[in-house]
Amino acid sequence: MKANNKSENNTNINSPSGVRGSESIDRSKRRSQAIAFTIFKLMSYSVVAILFVILGFIIIRGIGVISWDFLTKAPEEGMTKGGIFPAIVGTLCLVAGSSIFSFPIGIMSGIYMNEYAGGSKLATFIRIMTNNLSGVPSVVFGLFGMALFVNTMKFGDSILAGSLTLGLLSLPLVIRTTEESLKAIENSYREGSLALGATKLQTIRKVVLPMAFPNIITGLILSIGRVSGETAPILFTVAAYFLPKLPTSIFNQVMALPYHLYVISTSGTNVETSRGIAYGTALVLIVIVLMVNLLANGLRNYFSKKVKTN
Amino acid sequence: MTNTRNIETNTNLSSPLGARGSLDVRGLTIDAKNVDFYYSEFHALKNINFEVSKNEVVALIGPSGCGKSTFLRLLNRMNDLIPGTRMTGSVLIDGEDIYAPNIHVDELRKEVGMVFQKPNPFPKSIFENVAYGLRVNGIKDKTFIEERVIESIKSAALWDEVKDKLNKSAFALSGGQQQRLCIARALAISPKVVLMDEPASALDPISTAKIEDLIHELKKDYTIIIVTHNMQQASRVSDKTAYFYLGELIEFDKTTTIFTNPKEHSTQNYVTGRFG
Amino acid sequence: MKRFFEKFVESALLISGSITSITILLIIIFLFKEASGLFTTPVIEEGYELALNKTNPVKHLTSYEIKEIFDGKISNWNEVGGKNEAIELVRLSDLTKYYTEAELGSNFENIPAKSSELTSKHPGIILFLPTSYIKKDFNGTLLKHETLHPGDFFGGKEWYPTASPSPQYGLLPLLLGTLWVSLGAILLSLPFGISVAVYLAEIASMRVRNILKPVIELLAGIPSVVYGFFGLVVIVPFLQKLFQLPVGETALAGSVVLGIMALPTIITVAEDAMRTVPRAMKEASLALGATHWQTIYKVIIPYSKSGITSAAVLGIGRAIGETMAVLMVTGNAAVIPHTLLEPVRTIPATIAAELGETAAGGGHYQALFMLGVILFVITMIISISIEFIGKKKYSN
Ligand SMILES: Nc1ncnc2c1ncn2[C@@H]1O[C@H](COP(=O)(O)OP(=O)(O)OP(=O)(O)O)[C@@H](O)[C@H]1O
Ligand SMILES: [Mg+2]
Repeated sequence: MKANNKSENNTNINSPSGVRGSESIDRSKRRSQAIAFTIFKLMSYSVVAILFVILGFIIIRGIGVISWDFLTKAPEEGMTKGGIFPAIVGTLCLVAGSSIFSFPIGIMSGIYMNEYAGGSKLATFIRIMTNNLSGVPSVVFGLFGMALFVNTMKFGDSILAGSLTLGLLSLPLVIRTTEESLKAIENSYREGSLALGATKLQTIRKVVLPMAFPNIITGLILSIGRVSGETAPILFTVAAYFLPKLPTSIFNQVMALPYHLYVISTSGTNVETSRGIAYGTALVLIVIVLMVNLLANGLRNYFSKKVKTN
Repeated sequence: MTNTRNIETNTNLSSPLGARGSLDVRGLTIDAKNVDFYYSEFHALKNINFEVSKNEVVALIGPSGCGKSTFLRLLNRMNDLIPGTRMTGSVLIDGEDIYAPNIHVDELRKEVGMVFQKPNPFPKSIFENVAYGLRVNGIKDKTFIEERVIESIKSAALWDEVKDKLNKSAFALSGGQQQRLCIARALAISPKVVLMDEPASALDPISTAKIEDLIHELKKDYTIIIVTHNMQQASRVSDKTAYFYLGELIEFDKTTTIFTNPKEHSTQNYVTGRFG
Repeated sequence: MKRFFEKFVESALLISGSITSITILLIIIFLFKEASGLFTTPVIEEGYELALNKTNPVKHLTSYEIKEIFDGKISNWNEVGGKNEAIELVRLSDLTKYYTEAELGSNFENIPAKSSELTSKHPGIILFLPTSYIKKDFNGTLLKHETLHPGDFFGGKEWYPTASPSPQYGLLPLLLGTLWVSLGAILLSLPFGISVAVYLAEIASMRVRNILKPVIELLAGIPSVVYGFFGLVVIVPFLQKLFQLPVGETALAGSVVLGIMALPTIITVAEDAMRTVPRAMKEASLALGATHWQTIYKVIIPYSKSGITSAAVLGIGRAIGETMAVLMVTGNAAVIPHTLLEPVRTIPATIAAELGETAAGGGHYQALFMLGVILFVITMIISISIEFIGKKKYSN
């Protein structure tokens, strides 16, 4: 009743001819809001549903395949039996190799961008280039890695060539997270340190970096997740179709989880009989992604709480 | 009660905006009772009791951070937008509890217009800025919209300055003009109460004077609540003045009383500039 | 000393900072270097000759004409600018139809002489022979070793790199395949992405946001081969059943998978854009009695439209460059697609599928690098246009 009273009062702002009562307008605009919001909500929940369908499907089909043997044995009988141990080792090698390369350079680059270059023309240029690099498709990195590392520098198909290619691919991510973590630190901390007579470098090392560290770590972990799932860049730089022997030097080829999944689900001799192994491999990849994300989120929450309570 | 109000509204219906008869008293009463307001933990308003009759101009004064804006934004439920806020007590406008569950905020805000501290025109043309409120309220009649836009711009004392460039971007106006445009925009939907949060704080003295004149003019038709840090402004434009301090309403009385003979010591200190 | 150290560190940082720019430069140099030979490779396989009768006025054939002749699609010389004369196609192995084994010699030592003779006798002949079998005084015209014309690459309608004697490197089917799949993907994911972005930026409560954000992060984190695998075992059979198709590996399957993969990018960029809408703008609208929804579509979306455009463009960029997932679900038929329900092959998928089989430096290898160049150029254009869109703030 009271609500009605309200809406009737509004007649006076509406058309003088009184063609339309405001009550109907109010109701219709509220109805279109209700409809729109319901659609948005449904769309959003269906995105959640998509994720759960993908995860659920792979977990349910793959969980039965996972066993100690699966994780620690080499593939057997034309990759229709046995495990994926060499692929796990290969992926670990590639992750380690690319990190050794991209972490220090990426962090240093991020520091340069935020602490030294500031808003200069050079910094803008570098930032644009970094953005461009992050837009380059992974298969182009593969071509590039093959041309430069495998053929020109004569590393051959090797962990070294693959790691360098993957390292370049993950650089933009590392740089950007470093830069953003540094940007989030208020200038007053820097000024405080500089005012005490510390040099710029000392300030960065003793004040800025330790504060930015948690966020940088989070970014690094996410980049590990990205690297461990990339396939196209390693196709022509390192990945071996079938190589049960574990690598002994950085000039060896290795198997890798994502490539292995691709091979056994599309071009293996027995696509159907190796489906089980494919589900298992997909599950291992998913678990890596889940762990990486959980770890990153956990760290982020942990450190942000710590900062708050301090 | 419903009936009488409807009769009032109907008079308006036949004579929109322009021909406001002097007998026609359009503003609404405001009555806040025992209002407490919290920004999550922070107790921003403490037991406020505040009553305004129709067509009064009330100034809210007090040192920075004392809760003037918070209180003003309670009156059109703008604080609903800030997550984690909480209110107790009641605010009655025209005798109706605006925080009652059956109230639709968009209708409330049609009646209780607001002008913000910083001019905030939309990135649209001058015309479209003023027409916005009409359009979102479902008015399609082109000639009516046009008339109303022109009337509103005129009553915001902006017409002479913009009449040749109604289709230009509102961002091309000066700060003072933008603020008057925002006032015109608020007036276009004929609210009955107008809330103004330091409407002249970003403006030069000439624009400020124009806005003060405007408030005098508008008083005929609206109940106006205005937040200001400028004591002269408060005394020039308002009938009543409320002094807030640290979330409390310390004193609320006729403007002349507040400025010449306040009951509270703290009010006296503030209005004479010995404080804050 | 301390001074010196600081300077030293600063230059080390500068060098690290420039590495992305250097990488881009190197990518450009190496892709172009490897691809550059493409337009100087002969259209006929290396080590072979095509011979015609001396009286035949035809002096050169394009790569496409050669292929059509060998496929039997062109059967008269007048179709390629010659006389009205049936084409008589002779391969090395066909020589036995004209001569007995004895005539050719027990060690085929007579092939050079016989092929010369054959060419001179048959006015409509086109003979495909290894260069080693062509004797000095060969009685016929040897077709000039033409090189691949850029028009044949950029306008070529067939991608058939293993065709003999003249491999076909036509970009069009791959380019169109890429565009179809990406366009389909963006049409599917844009409505979803923007809705989710609106929901996250404007409607969802903190609690719902805290669920949705990690979900989107996870979607972004799933490797593309896993998407491809999921597409292969779930989406492909599903689409096949749904549309009663002979094969489920179609452009549509690629679009669906890519659409899901592009979601996180679109959502994140569009949401960030909507969050930059000043609160004052939103409050101004609400204070005029607009509903929240009216405020969203009349103020927030127009205000953030450059960001939303960036989101769409970035999403397209992601889709165009995506390799593995597409490779696994689109069926990889290098034909110009007519509907989304046909198999197609995209540029990245072609590179990934074929580079492993090619010899470094060969025509096929160079053609694949040329595809890489094209992909790189497309993504650069996209990155730069986003830079441009970002700069162009709302003005009106
Ligand atoms: N969104 C918010 N979240 C938390 N606290 C807030 C928020 N907005 C205001 N406050 C706090 O509430 C108190 C009152 O703020 P308010 O903006 O109402 O003050 P004010 O009287 O309008 O001050 P000023 O004259 O500076 O505009 C201040 O202490 C402020 O810090
Ligand atoms: Mg204020």
